[in-house]
Amino acid sequence: MLEPDRTFARRDTALFVLCVALSVGALFAPEPWQFAAASAARNTALVPLIALQRRAEASRTSRARFEALTAQRDSAAIAAQALPSILSENAELRQLLGLSRRIPERSVPAEVLHQPLPTDSRTLLLSAGRSAGVAVFQPVVASEGLIGVVRTAGPSTSTVMTWAHPDFRASAVTLDGSVTGMVGVTADASIREPMLELRGVPYRDSVPVGTPVITSGLGGVYPRGIPIGTIVGVARQAEGWERIYLVRPVAAPAQVSHVLVLQSGTPWPAAAQEDSTQ
Amino acid sequence: MSAARARRIRFALVMLLLVGMQFYVRPRLWSTRVAPDFLMLGLMIFAIRSRPGAAAVAGFIIGFASDALTPARFGAAMLAETLVGYTAAWGRAVFFADNLLVNAGFIAAGVWLRDLLVLVASGTGGKELAAQMFLWSPLLALSTAITGVVVLAIFRDWLDIRLEE
Repeated sequence: MLEPDRTFARRDTALFVLCVALSVGALFAPEPWQFAAASAARNTALVPLIALQRRAEASRTSRARFEALTAQRDSAAIAAQALPSILSENAELRQLLGLSRRIPERSVPAEVLHQPLPTDSRTLLLSAGRSAGVAVFQPVVASEGLIGVVRTAGPSTSTVMTWAHPDFRASAVTLDGSVTGMVGVTADASIREPMLELRGVPYRDSVPVGTPVITSGLGGVYPRGIPIGTIVGVARQAEGWERIYLVRPVAAPAQVSHVLVLQSGTPWPAAAQEDSTQ
Repeated sequence: MSAARARRIRFALVMLLLVGMQFYVRPRLWSTRVAPDFLMLGLMIFAIRSRPGAAAVAGFIIGFASDALTPARFGAAMLAETLVGYTAAWGRAVFFADNLLVNAGFIAAGVWLRDLLVLVASGTGGKELAAQMFLWSPLLALSTAITGVVVLAIFRDWLDIRLEE
C-alpha cells in the first residue's frame, strides 16, 4: 500500500497533467470548437457574472468621464448645426443624379466589458448580443473611429476582433481618395502604443505624414469613411514596388468603454458629409 | 458544525467575495489594464493553502472563464493559470513563506508569470511583448499584490494562512 503523501503527490501530478493536456487541446482545437466552448460558458455559468459586470459598467461614473462626455456632446452639437443644410443639399444632389434614398442609419450601443488578461485589447466582450440586433461581421466603432468587427454574437453578449488582433484586416483609403491599401496591426510598433500599417501602396504613390486614413467601403464589411488613423511615416519599402506606411490609430480598444455596432448598410457620418460635398 | 467545515465555508466566502469584486468593483476602478485582478488573487490565495493538484484544477477553471471572456487565443489562459496554480502551490510547499511581504511578492510573481505565459501562448512577440511585460504587467502585478496584502491581513484567520506577526 502506498503512503498517503506519495498517493497525494501522484494524484497532484495526474491532475496537473490532465489540466495541461486539456489546455493544450483547447489551444490547438479547431476555431469553431473554441468559439462553441467559449460561447457555451458565456451563455450558462458566466451569465450572472457578466450581468454583474454590465451593471457595474453602466453605473460607473467619474468626473473625468462626465467631462469627456460633455466635450463630446458639445462637439456633436456644433457638428449637428450644419447637418440640416448638408442633408438638404444631399437630397437635392441625389435627386439631380437620380440616386435612391440613403438607407436609414441604425446602430446598437454597447458597453465594453474589459477583462484583466493582457490580450484583452485584441478581443473585446460587448454587453449587447443577438437580442439587440448584433450579428457577426458588423463593424464596431467608437466616437474616435474604427475599433473592429463582431466575431461572435451570443444572445446577450458578443465578441469583437479589434484592429489590434493579428488576423484583423480592413480595406483603407486616404481621406482624399488618392491611395488605397489594406490596414493591419504591425510588429514594428513603438513600445508605447500598438500601431497599424497601410500595406499595398504602389511605390509611385507617396502619402504625406499626417494624412488621415479611412475605411474604403470595399469588401462590404466596413462602410466607407470610418476614421482609422493618420500616417506617421514609412514603415518599410519592398523591392521598389510597394511602400508600407505606419498608421497611428485614432481609437484605442484597451481604453474604450462604449462602442456602437453598425447595422448593415449604415453609412458613417464622415462618408455622408464627404458624399454631400462631392 | 465541525471546525473544518466552518473553515471551508469561511474560505469559500472569501473566494466568493473576490469573484464579486472582480466583476462588480474592478470595472469601477481606475484603468482596467492596471486594476487588481481579483480572480488571479483568489487563485494565488487558494494555491498558497492547497495541494498542487487542486491548485492546478482551480487554475484551469479560472483560465477557462478568462478565455471565455477574452477569446483572443482560446486555451492560453487555461494553460497559463494551470501552470501558475500548480507552480505556486508547489513553491509554497517548498519555501514555507509565512511573511506578508513574501506572500505579496509571490502573488505579484504569479500575475506577471501568467501574463508572460498568456502572451507567449498567444504568439505575441517583439515590442508588444516587451511593453506588456515591462510596463503593464508589473503595474497589474503590483496592484494585485497590494490588494492581496490587504485581503490577507483582513482575512488571515478565515483563510487559515500562517503569517508572521
